[in-house]
Amino acid sequence: MTPERLFEILTPYAAKQGFWLNSDRAFVLDILAGLLKNEERYGYRSCPCRLASGTRESDGDIICPCAYRDADVMEYGSCYCGLYVSEAWNTETIERRIVPERRIRKEENR
Amino acid sequence: MKKVTLYSLSTCPVCRKVRTFLDENGVPYTLIEVDRLEGGEQWVMTKEVARHNPQGTYPTTVVEEVIVGYDIESLRNKIVGDGDGAAG
Repeated sequence: MTPERLFEILTPYAAKQGFWLNSDRAFVLDILAGLLKNEERYGYRSCPCRLASGTRESDGDIICPCAYRDADVMEYGSCYCGLYVSEAWNTETIERRIVPERRIRKEENR
Repeated sequence: MKKVTLYSLSTCPVCRKVRTFLDENGVPYTLIEVDRLEGGEQWVMTKEVARHNPQGTYPTTVVEEVIVGYDIESLRNKIVGDGDGAAG
């Protein structure tokens, strides 16, 4: 699958869940390329901006959409890697801040 | 002389933005793509990242000031004159 094809699939999927994809299309395609690369490496779409352990069980919370997306978009208008955002984030009616890592570091895979 | 190390992930576009910034500003740096390292080496590297950035997140850019010899002016400016956590 290509990043462009995944973009077409995720756009309505995000909308159905009440989210938007980042309006920076080139950036989104980069993220999607990272997701597909991780799917190729690990067998699942691990977040491209987090270091995966390589085992699905311990990476379950960072398989996209990650377990932190909803809370991050709610609080910051964007998920950790910037793929899913709110309408306000896209229209720049809220400040764009760096989203801190919500995930609690697990010693064994950090 | 500044020594810059960029700990990054090959799949991360935000890491790539930092790389582009360093390249565009002609800053020499050491790039470490941690996700491309193998098992033991990757584990050691994550510990190194965590030493600089306890969150262990990426990108992590480390800028080290290297002072060579008894360069009293640099020692004074960079350490004593820094103000933030300067030597006691």
